[in-house]
Amino acid sequence: MIEDDFYRTSSQFRLWSFTEDSLRSLRQDTNRLASDRVRDALRRAREARQSANSSAAGTPNPNGSDADSKTGDEKDIECLTPDEEQELVRYFCEQIVQLGESYKPPLPTIVRATAIQYLRRFYLTNSPMTYHPKTIMPCALFIATKTDNYYMSLRQFAEGVPGDTSAEDIIAPEFLVMQSLRFTFDVRHPFRGLEGGIMELTAISQGLGQPAPHNPNQSPDDLRRTMLSLSPPPNTQSSSSISDRLARAHHNTREILKSAAQMTDAYFFYTPSQIWLSALLLADRPLAEFYLDTKLSAPNLDSTHTLTQLRAKLLTTLNDCSALLHSYNPLASDPEQKKALRRIGKKLYHCQNPEKVNLAGQKRIPAAAAAAAAAASVSDPATPESEMERLAKKRKLESEAKRRDDIFGGELVMERTRERQG
Amino acid sequence: MAPSREAMVNRGDEDEVCPVCKSSRYLNPDMRFLINPECYHKMCESCVDRIFSSGPANCPVAGCHKTLRKNRFRKQTFEDIHVEREVDIRRRVMTVLNRREEEFDSKLDWDNFLEQREEIIFNLVNGIDVAKTEADLQKYAADNMRSIRANQVIEAKEVTSFQERQNQEQELARMRRQAAREEYENERKELLAGREDMLSRLASGRPADAAAIAREGQKVMLKKSSARRSEEERIRQKQAALRGTDAKKPGQPTVAAEEGGSGLIKGLKKIKTPEPEKPYDPFGGIIPNQRDYFTLQDHYPSTYLDPIRQDTRMLAGGYDLQEYYSRTMLEAFAGLGCFIDDELSQRQAHSFNVMKPVGTQGAALAATSTSTAGK
Repeated sequence: MIEDDFYRTSSQFRLWSFTEDSLRSLRQDTNRLASDRVRDALRRAREARQSANSSAAGTPNPNGSDADSKTGDEKDIECLTPDEEQELVRYFCEQIVQLGESYKPPLPTIVRATAIQYLRRFYLTNSPMTYHPKTIMPCALFIATKTDNYYMSLRQFAEGVPGDTSAEDIIAPEFLVMQSLRFTFDVRHPFRGLEGGIMELTAISQGLGQPAPHNPNQSPDDLRRTMLSLSPPPNTQSSSSISDRLARAHHNTREILKSAAQMTDAYFFYTPSQIWLSALLLADRPLAEFYLDTKLSAPNLDSTHTLTQLRAKLLTTLNDCSALLHSYNPLASDPEQKKALRRIGKKLYHCQNPEKVNLAGQKRIPAAAAAAAAAASVSDPATPESEMERLAKKRKLESEAKRRDDIFGGELVMERTRERQG
Repeated sequence: MAPSREAMVNRGDEDEVCPVCKSSRYLNPDMRFLINPECYHKMCESCVDRIFSSGPANCPVAGCHKTLRKNRFRKQTFEDIHVEREVDIRRRVMTVLNRREEEFDSKLDWDNFLEQREEIIFNLVNGIDVAKTEADLQKYAADNMRSIRANQVIEAKEVTSFQERQNQEQELARMRRQAAREEYENERKELLAGREDMLSRLASGRPADAAAIAREGQKVMLKKSSARRSEEERIRQKQAALRGTDAKKPGQPTVAAEEGGSGLIKGLKKIKTPEPEKPYDPFGGIIPNQRDYFTLQDHYPSTYLDPIRQDTRMLAGGYDLQEYYSRTMLEAFAGLGCFIDDELSQRQAHSFNVMKPVGTQGAALAATSTSTAGK
């Protein structure tokens, strides 16, 4: 199918599609690496603090009780599990929806959806323990306004963000986020596809439908008649016109796409057209099945025909996808989840990587800032200085190595001055 | 030789009598005899005029009931009427069975064909299986009309080109002869002039130089004649070469006959009709705007899209609702048949894991640098 080949060229398919296993192992890897790093960082911070304390107190050898408490602390560091991380990210995805709502006028659904996908993609390879979602979330939303052509100035955007977040704070992790997105900003959403499907269904309901390419014998009247004779979707009153029914299906599907499709892993596992069709299956099963049949079945096809096989396979995939969408349970309606989230939040407070807190400073001189953050409590002015010197030295060494490797030699001016010196 | 032949003809003419009207040449010296290839009965011109002017009629010879037409009457070429008949039959068969040697797979097949043709001619001449043979011949002619026609054209061309070549050669020979004659004439004149010159020099010169002058004159003559001879040789070689290329050239390509295996003739070459060149396809097989899941319509009824069709403010900028239709419909089905589970497991089987935790790697780098800094 030629449309499928169009989709296969997208970065969403090439880079951001996963099987269930690969997604799980990716999240586990990310979590493991991040927790190791958090433990290291916390230990370093504590050591730095202790050495500072000890030097300030003037007692060079720490007593036994100190050592005991240290090992006790070491055990205390309990990192988030991958599932907890996922819960947390999901909470912030919901936050994106609310933040978008708070603007006047509210941000378009597609911008919010893009931002949510950015956040989800970002936390595939980064852990909330390393970068707190609270700092990443506004940045993702801001990038989404830019990539989806919904222009907002940064100042205007920052005003809408609650808390005392400055414009500087919002764009601080911008490069970091873009890098983690692998600079692929294109997110294929199911929304426009839904519009197309409803558009065509409306045409069919008015007797203006065109036969599908694989089934040229369909006539508009036949299609219309079949559509009118569909059994009504369950849990609705049967007396409603076809246009009402379409409108209702459209609305319900869109609601599912706006919430369930965003908050679950549907985008990673399924293609946009599969997502909207499974959402339609949830909203109005007879209608969705009728629509699929107009596309993928023809009279007198045997079971070995590719179209029949495709249809069977597609139906199982769509059912899986709609089961996934159906499993979504909004946070607001579930006090259990809220309680769990509060617990995770507290836990995160303790296992947050201290070296990555100040992103705004880190943007300028990353390593130095991290070191400065680590040594913030230490009142030793020599450390940052020596750090700077060391960095400068390292940079110099690196540039020299680069010059050696460069086949065209270094910069001319540098070469000449060296010659003159030599 | 000529007189004896003349005598023979005359003697034959003397007692020639028309079998129909019994008038003899003796009474009518201008009498000409005609035959009709239908039955080969001879009769005089006046009889033909008399009997057949008013349309087809039966042959007047007793016992022969063939219907003859006037326009088929012609002069006899051979004296023996049987030879005449055989030649006619042969010509007729040859025009139908005019396959050429190039059309056969092997020499053996060509020879078989020739033998078969002779057989047919023999049968027709001697009246063996005439009906069947005629039927075969008719059928073959009907089936192979095009190749027969094509071969006839080739043959005609060959004949004309052969004649042309013949004429050309004659013309060349004529010119050569003329050139030779002129040359000979010139030579003779020069010889005379040289001799004259030598004589006058001998007359005016001293007696001591006489031998030297005579020798000189001889030498000049020799040089000239050898030069001429080499020149002639050169021209001859050139002409021979030209003739050689001419002889090779008429190797016409066989006209493709439409019938691979005709029933009558065996061993014909399989004719390969060259693949007609396909028209250039800039999209490499993809038909633009062709979709597998949907047929794009010109118009989809929609309460909020329809007003745009009349909205000048939107249309003025070049907004085309058709673009929107095609994009939404494409997005509705793009990737419907992509089963990520299957395709990813295939992809991973083929290449190493595409996804690498970029961000964590960066974080790892930063962490190691800080850890060294901390120590």
